[in-house]
Amino acid sequence: MRLHILALLSAIIATAPHALPAQSTHQPDRSIAIDSRLADDAGLRVGDVVVIAAEPGALGDTVHIGAITRPGADPSEVARREYRVRLHLDHLQALTAIGDRVHRFAVATRGSAAEARAVAAIDAAAFGFRAHRSRDVAVETSATFAVVSRFHRAIGVITITASAIFLLCILLLKVDERRRDVAALRLMGISRATVVKSVVIEAAAVAVLGSIMGAGLGLLAATLVNVHYQGVYRTPLRFAVVTPQVLTFALALSLVLGAAAGALAALRLARMHPLVLLGRR
Amino acid sequence: MLLRLVSASLFGHRARTLLAVLGVAVSAALLLDMVMLSTGMSESFRALLLGRGFQLRASPKGTLPFDTEATIADASAVIAAIHQSPDVEVVSPVLGGTVHFPLARGGALSTLALGVDPAVQGDYALEGGRDPRGDHEIVANRELLARAGARVGDSLTVAGGYDPQLRRFAATGRVLVTGQVRFLYLARDQAAVAMPIAALQSLGGERRRDRASLFMIRARDGADIERVRSGIEQRVPRVTAISIATALAQVEERLSYFRQLAVILGAVSLAVGVLLVATLVTVSVNERIGEFAVLRAIGVARSSVIKQVMLESATIMAAGSMLGLVLGLVTARYLNTILSSFPGLPEAIDFFLFQPRAAWMALGMLAAAGVLAGLWPAWRGASLPVARTLREEAA
Repeated sequence: MRLHILALLSAIIATAPHALPAQSTHQPDRSIAIDSRLADDAGLRVGDVVVIAAEPGALGDTVHIGAITRPGADPSEVARREYRVRLHLDHLQALTAIGDRVHRFAVATRGSAAEARAVAAIDAAAFGFRAHRSRDVAVETSATFAVVSRFHRAIGVITITASAIFLLCILLLKVDERRRDVAALRLMGISRATVVKSVVIEAAAVAVLGSIMGAGLGLLAATLVNVHYQGVYRTPLRFAVVTPQVLTFALALSLVLGAAAGALAALRLARMHPLVLLGRR
Repeated sequence: MLLRLVSASLFGHRARTLLAVLGVAVSAALLLDMVMLSTGMSESFRALLLGRGFQLRASPKGTLPFDTEATIADASAVIAAIHQSPDVEVVSPVLGGTVHFPLARGGALSTLALGVDPAVQGDYALEGGRDPRGDHEIVANRELLARAGARVGDSLTVAGGYDPQLRRFAATGRVLVTGQVRFLYLARDQAAVAMPIAALQSLGGERRRDRASLFMIRARDGADIERVRSGIEQRVPRVTAISIATALAQVEERLSYFRQLAVILGAVSLAVGVLLVATLVTVSVNERIGEFAVLRAIGVARSSVIKQVMLESATIMAAGSMLGLVLGLVTARYLNTILSSFPGLPEAIDFFLFQPRAAWMALGMLAAAGVLAGLWPAWRGASLPVARTLREEAA
């Protein structure tokens, strides 16, 4: 088992570092990394010299910006507007006067089999420590997204219900419009079963065609949503993803609904006398 | 006569009418929910912030209240400086920190503690007992009492620090639980205590001496809040003063996703409802061209035919909207239950808030748009040349 102590500790600095006057020629030894949002907002670049302090107005350290980092596609950071500044661990410890302390260690194990052994070994050996699996931590920290996901599912059920009723209604009307054609076919001697089949196939085809167009519209909407929210939240995170499962579900649902609506309407028409359908009786 | 014709038409196609009413109801429900979602958060948050009458909050420069662990030094001097404004009526300092209660079974219950001035505090509402009066008295919420296995009137050992490696407590003392409270701004399941600010400062040692995390400020009635806010920032440059409007803007910015979702889904549901009625009326009119031609031929006025068709669409919209109102309130309650389980959300925040004016406006808009959607097919049906239509229909 290898222990990797993070050399860098992420720190959220409440205020933007104060930029020193441009004519300052002294290049301090210590460097920090800032995130691209802070760089954009404060107009900072690699090599700029700034002063960082643990508290607003307190005396701080003069450092130079050694790197600008891109925000990761982490959903937990999307709504947070804090800037992130990364310092060397000993530098942050000195700046915040917390001594030789860290909040956590990240530990890499040799494969998943070693995970349990590592957790047990750390818990047994390190008094006052507690080891957690990354996936357990992820479950804890993703509670917000679990809530959002449940909300999306509930909204999804409502919209699917609305669209299902809409689809049923439209297809019933569509089939109802064919009453004269159905009457003509029946008068020509075409069997009821054939008439019903043809209407069901037609309704299903209309539903599938509509779904394909809807899928195209959905892909376009997802692209627009991603472009918009990636810009708003300045993150590479994808907010809307049209997966093959989503497409399959939409297609299957509309096919079933289309066929059901077609069958309902066609059976009703097929039961009626052709002359009634033509309005002659 | 008109009503009989409308009724005959709607009941003549029962399945179609039922589906149309259901479709409009679901669209109306979704529209209502989205209207409630778009206004609910900001309104309930505004009510929460204004609940205790504090119009301003002052936090460490560049931060939002309790967004970071930063604190403000020389709290007494800051209070005095803020009080220099003649418009300031009350200044309530708040210090946030962690305290530890040693448990009988070993280990410690670490919990959030708020240091307040009990005489002017705006962080909690008393549910039982009384406010803490001295440095050795605290109030706790139900969650804390349950986890600590304590009741009002019990004495507890509290510590300002805890070293988990050595299992050693620092700055310990005995405190009396004088009351049970409900914290207004904390998450519903968050255990917490409140004590006089001086007590929490002394538990934290030098690090917390005369420090505060936040000042809540109540201005006199009629005072210009923006002027008071800028005056505080001028007098105390180390703080950022935030008005209710700014706080609301910050919250709305963070939760803009829900507002935008509400606008998009609301617009979609409105469009679906209108489209459904427009399609239905168009098909219905097309089917009944002959009927309208006969009515026109026997002398029925064109306006009466139009009225009949529009009354049909109005009936569908009205029935659908009423059903949608009930459906919308039920689904809003369910959706609110889901979103209320957001970690860290204060109990008083509602995502879906029923505001009669907004609700009626939304449903009225849907109904009016649906009725108007039927106007064109109704006009077309009533304006066809009577003789030619009758001949074609007869053929």
